Order: sequence, then C-alpha cells, then structure tokens
Amino acid sequence: MIWREKRVLLIILGLLLAANAVYFFTYRVSYQSRLDDREQELTQKEAELARAHAARVKAERTFQAYRQVERDVQRVFDEHWATQEERFTRLVAEVKRLTTASSMVPASVGFSAAVVTDPEANRRKKVAIGATEVGIAFGVEGTYEQVRRLINLLELSQQFVIIDQIGLSSREGQNLALTIHLKTLFREGKPLANQRL
Amino acid sequence: MKPIHLNLAARPYRDYRPVYAVVVVMSLLTAFLMLNNIETYYRYKHDTRSTTNRIGQIEAQTRQEKQLEEISQRKLKGIDLATLDAQTRFVNAKLAERAFSWSTLLDELESVLAQDVRLVSVAPQFNGDGSINLALDFEAKGPNGMIVTINRMNADPQFANPFPKTEEITPSGGYKFNLVVKYHPPETILRAAK
Repeated sequence: MIWREKRVLLIILGLLLAANAVYFFTYRVSYQSRLDDREQELTQKEAELARAHAARVKAERTFQAYRQVERDVQRVFDEHWATQEERFTRLVAEVKRLTTASSMVPASVGFSAAVVTDPEANRRKKVAIGATEVGIAFGVEGTYEQVRRLINLLELSQQFVIIDQIGLSSREGQNLALTIHLKTLFREGKPLANQRL
Repeated sequence: MKPIHLNLAARPYRDYRPVYAVVVVMSLLTAFLMLNNIETYYRYKHDTRSTTNRIGQIEAQTRQEKQLEEISQRKLKGIDLATLDAQTRFVNAKLAERAFSWSTLLDELESVLAQDVRLVSVAPQFNGDGSINLALDFEAKGPNGMIVTINRMNADPQFANPFPKTEEITPSGGYKFNLVVKYHPPETILRAAK
C-alpha cells in the first residue's frame, strides 16, 4: 500500500537510476576502449588520407608525364622536322653540299612525298600523325671510300635525314655505283613564325 | 470489563520508513552515478579534443586531395591519348632510324663477308625491341658464298637468324643471293648486357 502511494516518485527515481547506470556501464566502464576506438578512427582516417594523397600524386604525375611527352613530341615536330616550307630547300642544299664534299655529284635526283598515318591503328580509328614523309633518291659513282665518306657525312648532318636504303654495284676499276634513298619528315601545318602573327 | 482502544489519529497511521529508505538510497546512487557520468563526459571530450580536431583536419585534407585528384583526372581525359600514343611511337621509331649508324653496320658487314662475296644492297627495317631486320643482296664468285656468309653471321653476336630467300647463278657464272638477318647494333647488345 505504501509503495503504491509513492509509485510516481519511485518510478522517476528508478528511471533516473537506470539511465545513469546504463550510461555508466556503457561509457565509464568501457572508457579506455572508447578512447582506443577514437585513436583507431584517427589511424583509419590517416590511412584514407594517405591513399587519397597517393592517388592524387599518381594522377598528377601521370598528367605531368603525358604533358612532358606532348612537349617532347612537339619539340621534335617543331625544331627537328619543321614544316616543308621552312626546311625543304635547306635539306636539298645540304644533300647537294654533302655529295659535292664527297665528290659524288648525282646526275639526277628523284623526290617523293606521302602523308604519314599511324600504321598500327585499325582502319576505323586511323590516327593522323601530322607529318609528311619526303623521300630523296639518287645514284652516284665513286670509290668505296667515297661511298663511306658520303654515308658518314649524311649521318653527321645537322638536318634530320634518314638513310632509308642503299644499293651498290660494281663499275669499271675500283668504282662502285651507289643508289641511295634518303627520307626526312616535315610537320604539317603552318610555320611557327606565321602562327605567331 | 472490555478495554477501550481509542484511535485519535486524524489519518490512518502508515509506516513510510522503508519507502523513504529506498528513496534515499536510490537518490544517493543516482547522484553518485550522475556525477560520475558528467565527469566522464567532460573527461572524454577533453581527452579526445585533439584527436577529434585532428580527424576533422584529416577529413578536410582528404576531401581536398580527392578534389585535386578529380581535377587531374579531368585534365587527363582532355588529352587525346590515341593521337599522342601514335605520335610517340612514330617519333621514337624515326629517332631510332635517324640514330642508326650505317657506318657501324658497314664495318660489321665487312668483317663477316668472305673475300669472294660482295654486298649489293642493304635495306633495314626497324623493330620495336631495338633490333633491326636487314634485307641484304649479295654477289659471290663461288658456289659457297651464301653458306660461308650465313656461317659467319651465325658466329657473330650482332647478327641473328640469317635466312636466305633466293640464290641464282648469273649469266657471267657468278652467284646472286639474298638474306634476311636480324641485326643487333652494338648499343643494344651493351644495353642487354647491363
């Protein structure tokens, strides 16, 4: 009877006690483990940051590497190959100078030109390289030493000239007939000086 | 004579002492636990403040790193990789052709050719691995010219897999033959040795 009369007070006190007990056993007793959890969370966040940082650095490095490759390719196109307008006559003059220097002046010279496409690309996705390949073919006669000298001079030339193929056949005495096919590359587009205007 | 029991109380008498005892005990216990809990809460806040701040900083840094990565990925998508790849392969192939030393090749061929064998033409074809396939035409005075040339190429580390395509006798009595051989320039052999 007396308990029933005071039941409201007892229930409130019981609820307060229960709530405090729950909090006490949940937080106070496992206090250290909660601190440890927080430290563990910090460690996890640090690891996540490290992963994000590594991914960012990798993406930036990849981008920078591609940019560097782009710059290198562009440098070859601009500085070594240039446009036909900028370099073709200089190249022909250089070849003539070298043949004269090796005392093997050709009677005739043949020229050819072809636009370069990526040979490894499939037909649907043909990629234009942005360059034209120009061939220069001529035949000369001279001794083996003269042939070697001409080849050596072409190799040392400042012009971007590739010896594509050589053919040799014997002539009278010590003389040889040399047929040589040279090739070079020109960038497509306008010369850089014009682009700046 | 029957005794008289007089109840003079205004209300019926009840003994509340057990109830009050329980209330006091419960109140004391609750107060004790509550103080402890409040102290625990503040201690936890204090002890984990630096950790919480650090976690907040790290989360902000992580968000920033992810944003920067996304920017780099978007920039990467803006690059025409197919064209760049094709141009790079093409430029590398042409630079290799330009760097190829014909003088060294002719020296090498001089060292492997027999006395009665003469080189007529050379056409190189450049491979991606740095090796070069050579298509060679020769003229020989005797019938063993081709065999001797193949044997000498097999013995030279700069040549590999020499293989003939045709051999024919010329009207003058000599022999014409051609070979395909893989040529390793000296620099590729040095690179492989390292």
